Amino acid sequence: MRNDMKSLLNIFLLIIVLFFFTGCAGVREFLEEISDKIAEKAPEGKKALISSSYLEKALEYEKDNELQTALFYMQIAGTLDPDNTEIPEKIAGLRSAIDKKAGRHFAKGVAFYKKRKFKDARRQFLTALRYAPGHKDAFDYLKNRLPPKEYINYKVKNKDTLKGIAKKFYNDPSKDFLIAYFNNLKTDKKPVPGTMLELPILGLEFTRPSIDIRNELIKAENLLKEKRYQEVLGVIGKINKYDRLNKKATDLKNAACYQIGIELSRQEKYPEAIEMFKKVAPEYQGVKEAIQQVANKELMKAKNFLKQKQYEQTLAVAGRILDYDKSNKAAKDLINTTFCQKAKDLIIQKNYSQAVKVLDKADPEYFCVKNAISDVKKAMKKQADVHYLQGVKYFLNEELKSAIKEWEKTLTLNPEHKKAKKNIKNARSLLEKLEKVY
Amino acid sequence: MPKPANRRKIVFGHFSLLYLLLLAACVTSSPEHHKISEIRINNDFIIVKATAKDTLSSLAAQYLNDPAKDWLIAEFNHIKTLSAGQELIIPLFPFNKGGLKSGSYQTVPVLVYYSFSKNKPGKSTVTQDDFKAHMKYLKENGYNVITLDQLLDFLDYKEQIPEKSVVITFDDGWRSIYNIAFPIMKEYGFPATLFVYTDFIGGGKAISWKQVKKLSENGFDIQCKTKTHRNLATKKKKESFKEYFKSLEMEISYPKKLIKKKLNKECRYLAYPYGKTNNLVIAMLKKHGYRAAFTVERESNPFFADNYRIHRSPIYGKCDVKKFKKILSVFQNMELK
Repeated sequence: MRNDMKSLLNIFLLIIVLFFFTGCAGVREFLEEISDKIAEKAPEGKKALISSSYLEKALEYEKDNELQTALFYMQIAGTLDPDNTEIPEKIAGLRSAIDKKAGRHFAKGVAFYKKRKFKDARRQFLTALRYAPGHKDAFDYLKNRLPPKEYINYKVKNKDTLKGIAKKFYNDPSKDFLIAYFNNLKTDKKPVPGTMLELPILGLEFTRPSIDIRNELIKAENLLKEKRYQEVLGVIGKINKYDRLNKKATDLKNAACYQIGIELSRQEKYPEAIEMFKKVAPEYQGVKEAIQQVANKELMKAKNFLKQKQYEQTLAVAGRILDYDKSNKAAKDLINTTFCQKAKDLIIQKNYSQAVKVLDKADPEYFCVKNAISDVKKAMKKQADVHYLQGVKYFLNEELKSAIKEWEKTLTLNPEHKKAKKNIKNARSLLEKLEKVY
Repeated sequence: MPKPANRRKIVFGHFSLLYLLLLAACVTSSPEHHKISEIRINNDFIIVKATAKDTLSSLAAQYLNDPAKDWLIAEFNHIKTLSAGQELIIPLFPFNKGGLKSGSYQTVPVLVYYSFSKNKPGKSTVTQDDFKAHMKYLKENGYNVITLDQLLDFLDYKEQIPEKSVVITFDDGWRSIYNIAFPIMKEYGFPATLFVYTDFIGGGKAISWKQVKKLSENGFDIQCKTKTHRNLATKKKKESFKEYFKSLEMEISYPKKLIKKKLNKECRYLAYPYGKTNNLVIAMLKKHGYRAAFTVERESNPFFADNYRIHRSPIYGKCDVKKFKKILSVFQNMELK
């Protein structure tokens, strides 16, 4: 007690001396030092309490899928309570979850981007960036790849000149100065091969069309009214050279191709009609139905070929239908039925190897194909036995060479025929011996 | 004579009194100083316990070296005000640069005013009262008026900006900007940008260079809107491509030089006359060192907006607060999960 009093008295005295020599600032510094020391010795329980409140918040944020914020709070909790061995594990877990989620959304974004579904791609890149704010690739896509570019990059080739490049890109060699300006080059000097140039993308109004697009559109419209569809396509082709995205021109082209397709269909020129319909935008009114009608007519035609056992023609027509309508079930059925019938004919003709080849092309899931495969196997086995017996007959008549030939036929049809294998071996050995005797 | 024990008590009592007096003197002699407990978490966060004297901006000044960054502390801690003893985290870095949330992303409206009149709204004119009401609405509803540099740092994903951020711009350089808008902007302490087309300055109803200088010295960022206000996106009928190209170069480079000469300020932003642009113009702006350019598409801007096609919402005619509120879209809903 007395010692405590003495030490307190010493502190008081020190403060007074400090006050006289350094004023309030000195006293304050001294007091702060003391209070800091006291804070350093603060009970561990207080730190742990603070830490646990941040830990709780971190877990709450994690539950709400706010992983970045959860990570912030977890890091704070970890710093406040370095002895807690669970927190570093939780931090690692959060980091890994963030990486996984960001990576997954980024990959989805790239897939959408490749399919040119830019809105969906943007949403995925934003989500990746929300999970991982430092995701440089997601940011690159959002800021640099998704917005339209004002330049095209062009790598200079060996014989390139600026005028040549200007002609190629702007349809106007006199725009060489533009390339020179944006690439810090001189117009009178040849660009160095391999150099990557930036060519500003110019709008239609700055490229030099040798035609008046507005007039050409009117011309195309009039031709369409007069049902001169091929000529419409000719005019649109000219316009597209300068303006591929002209909406009016696209509409006129769709209308002309559709009408030509209908006409060809009427003339029963189905493949040509389909080729024409394919040139029409899929959303064009009536085109889907027109394609379906052609497919139905083609199917009828193919079925007639099948009735007449004209298998190659049947397969050609049905295959053509699948070219433009991959999911056409009737065409698929027809193709497999054709293969079955053809195989059956070949079995009757005892042309088993050809029958197998035909069935190889068919879909084994089809019932008729399964049956045909089973039939051909049975027939082959049966025929193998016929040849085997014939071989035995020859053998008994001491016609060894003919016997071997028959058994070889047996093995061709049934390679697993053990007796045939054994008999061939014996017959050959006998033949050798006989040859030595005579 | 007191006993030795009593004497010690008296001496101790005197010392105690002296000590308390001394402490009181020291505390009252430096009222601005206060010590708060703080814990640093790496270089990322500081945890502080606020004292009665602390405000969000005093803490921002102390820890972020910028009292105007009070919003950063408020937003991280989801608070609007501070109370004594409150424990809070001060983030030392931009913790959400793109303003991305699970159900939305941040957008920034950029307002553009042209000219003002005392009473009559016109084709490109807003009345003084409407303008005052707009600024009052921004102030009273927690909007933060930010500068173009701040906006571009946000668009470049470098810095975070307050959740409710707005940019105010003025176009062309009508004198009414100086006479009517400037005093109101000064009253509210809002920063703004004035895009001038330099041939207009000093003309009939236009602002003078002297006035432009004064605006520049009083929180207005002076930027350019070309030399003559020609439509940059289209070639004139009788103009050859080469003439058009040369004209573009002059429209873009000349005002930059002139502003530098007149105000000794770097011009890095351009407002497209009529809001129109094309690839060639943008390529040229980049070549001449412009950081960004502005259209007049009525939409707010997310951080991933094209820096050379930044949207602005023009305000003219009769525009009361009800109409004005609709322009201030500061977020866009979108599931980001």
